[in-house]
Amino acid sequence: MSEMWINMGPQHPMTHGLWNLRVKLDGEIVVDVDPEIGYLHRGIEKISEDRHYNEVITLMDRCCYVAGFSWEHLYILAAEEALHLAPPERAEYLRVLCDEFQRIGSHLMWYAAFVQDIGLMSPFLYGMRDRDLVLDLYQSYTGARMTYEYMRVGGVRNDLPPGFSAEARQVLDWLSRRFDEYDQLTLGSDIFRKRCDNLGILKANDCVAHGVTGPMLRSAGVKRDLRKDRPYSAYDRVEFDVAVADGADVTARYLVRLEEMRQAVRILRQVLDWLDKNPGPVMAEELPRWLGAPYAPIGREGYLLKRNFPKGVGFSAVEEPHGEAVAYVVNEGGEHPYRVKFRSPVFSNISAARKYLIGYHVADIPPIMGSVDICIGEVDR
Amino acid sequence: MSGATLFSVSFDIGSAILRGIASVFPMPESGWITNPDVILGLSAVIFAAILLAASMLNTILLIWWERKLLGRIMDRRGAMHVGYAGLLQNFADGLKLFRKNTVQPREADSLGFYSGPVTYMVTSLIIFGILPISSGWNGGALPLTLLLALAIFSFAPLFIFVSAWSSNNKYSLMGGMRSAAQMIAYEVPILLAVVAVVIVSGSFDLTTIVYEQQNYWFWGPLFVALIVFVAGMLAEMERIPFDLPEAEAELVEGWNTEYGGMLFAFFMLADYLRALIGSILVVLLFLGGWTLPTWVPSGLTTFPLAGIFWFMVKTYAVFGLFVWIRASLPRVRTDQLLRVGWNRMIPLSLLAVFLAAVLVTVKCLPVFGCVPSAGGM
Repeated sequence: MSEMWINMGPQHPMTHGLWNLRVKLDGEIVVDVDPEIGYLHRGIEKISEDRHYNEVITLMDRCCYVAGFSWEHLYILAAEEALHLAPPERAEYLRVLCDEFQRIGSHLMWYAAFVQDIGLMSPFLYGMRDRDLVLDLYQSYTGARMTYEYMRVGGVRNDLPPGFSAEARQVLDWLSRRFDEYDQLTLGSDIFRKRCDNLGILKANDCVAHGVTGPMLRSAGVKRDLRKDRPYSAYDRVEFDVAVADGADVTARYLVRLEEMRQAVRILRQVLDWLDKNPGPVMAEELPRWLGAPYAPIGREGYLLKRNFPKGVGFSAVEEPHGEAVAYVVNEGGEHPYRVKFRSPVFSNISAARKYLIGYHVADIPPIMGSVDICIGEVDR
Repeated sequence: MSGATLFSVSFDIGSAILRGIASVFPMPESGWITNPDVILGLSAVIFAAILLAASMLNTILLIWWERKLLGRIMDRRGAMHVGYAGLLQNFADGLKLFRKNTVQPREADSLGFYSGPVTYMVTSLIIFGILPISSGWNGGALPLTLLLALAIFSFAPLFIFVSAWSSNNKYSLMGGMRSAAQMIAYEVPILLAVVAVVIVSGSFDLTTIVYEQQNYWFWGPLFVALIVFVAGMLAEMERIPFDLPEAEAELVEGWNTEYGGMLFAFFMLADYLRALIGSILVVLLFLGGWTLPTWVPSGLTTFPLAGIFWFMVKTYAVFGLFVWIRASLPRVRTDQLLRVGWNRMIPLSLLAVFLAAVLVTVKCLPVFGCVPSAGGM
């Protein structure tokens, strides 16, 4: 068979999200690949310039639909720096709680999709079942399962409901037992090891050259985690280990993500302990009057606001479930951010596709792309 | 073979109908109606209709059984709402597919596109005409039933490839090529595993093979052959872990990507027909067919249609094993599949043949007993 291009996408079972992977095949061997993105572009950065600081949070949930909390957190950190605000300590712990539950939820979603890609049917359902427990927890304190709009500039919207801690601990106990079961279903299977070992190798040098971050970088043996290297919120006050593997292949990425979920459980137990012992306010006391206003102050008030409020620039970087996300918020005075800019980790991870796809079989594309953990919402924004 | 056979029942029905019709009309002119050849022809049609209905009903039940079992393994419930415990869900699905429009791609080759699914389905159905279900309940007591069944069974790659090529779709073509490569690779070990059974039983007739298992079922002494046969059947049925031709992760739906509506239903039904045939062959060749071991209380084997009942129980249990495998294993890759097929399965099946020859020479085994007198050279 001569070489041919096939389009894997935009509607294709391999693409988790709306994107297109053009693949050039020689028989069953991948000769060339060309990822095409942009199908989900909504102009979130531009829309943000026309919204109040707190209204941008709504867009952040839509940025990455499986890791909404992480993106809210990312934006909030930058916005607070730009507005010269600081949240109370309890709010910071609550944000870490959100982040780590989100990490578990996102990785469970990844697990379900990934095992489905290599044909494992039951673990797909197991992953979704256990993710539902995490979603129930979100629902109990934010009211939503997917688009939470929970964090606010200067704190978080509300405190946890009574009884949350006990419920969350139950879920954590259940989950930490399930992780071993996941390992049995995948690592315990010879076929899985045959499919995933030495597959989609991306060495540390190439990761750095392409800006690949997150579990993919850590699976190549690089011990880099923004939660440790550039601690934000309460991450410098909790104990955890950075998950690292050294295979640089699909199995290594699997191991890293599973270990991250176990570490997240460890972090969450500490955070819940702290939250149980330290009640307090969850919003900053001194907030600009207009921050929560639904409409922009106009006339003289608006003029004074623009003139008097101190300008500023905010930069933040968080360790999102997919990798390192960066936000940049410019405050030129007034109620809208002047400019909002994000760096999506998955964008860089997809861009390196030529490095880790060429030379493998066409049947290897789904597991490799599955191990990258793609969220197109944040790539296209 | 005592009692009624399926064909004798059909013959009685056919002759009763024709004699009834003939009795209404004046005799000399209508004499041709009761001509023995006409009665034979009509009873053949009735026989085929009964077989068709029975096999389709079983296929649909099989899909239900798979859905329920798969659901339970996955910690959910499977089909629930249409009919009792979702029994009618598949009929509803079939009706939905029946109502749908058949879309043919513009560049597709009509002849291949339409004849592929039909021939695939028909060749799968033909096999039911020769498989014995219970003592006497078989179509023709041919001396070479097993060989004929396997020969028809191996037509499939051709039709799959024709329909895949005719669809003029790259995914279909790749799926068709994979399917052809896979089925041809696993044809050889299956046949060799069957040779092991034939050596011990000394017959190509499935009915005889079942009766040869009166002392012990063949799965014990011919365990290697059973392993090879089940693995090969999994590949022939294109089920996980060997479902590469329709690996939905990379090939969308494989060779039937372009098929929708009733043509897709044909493929789907034929797939499950083949799964049913595979399970039946495992039961016939290795699990004693419709017979039960002699130490079983006689009450279990003497009620009416006991043979068919136990046969179905065994068939569904074997299919349940296939479902269990599907629920818990990932999919292998094409090159791995072919390597296993040529490098592992064929030597293993040769070993099975050798063991069968040893068994026939030794005559008696410590645990299982002796080879039946009819067996061997």
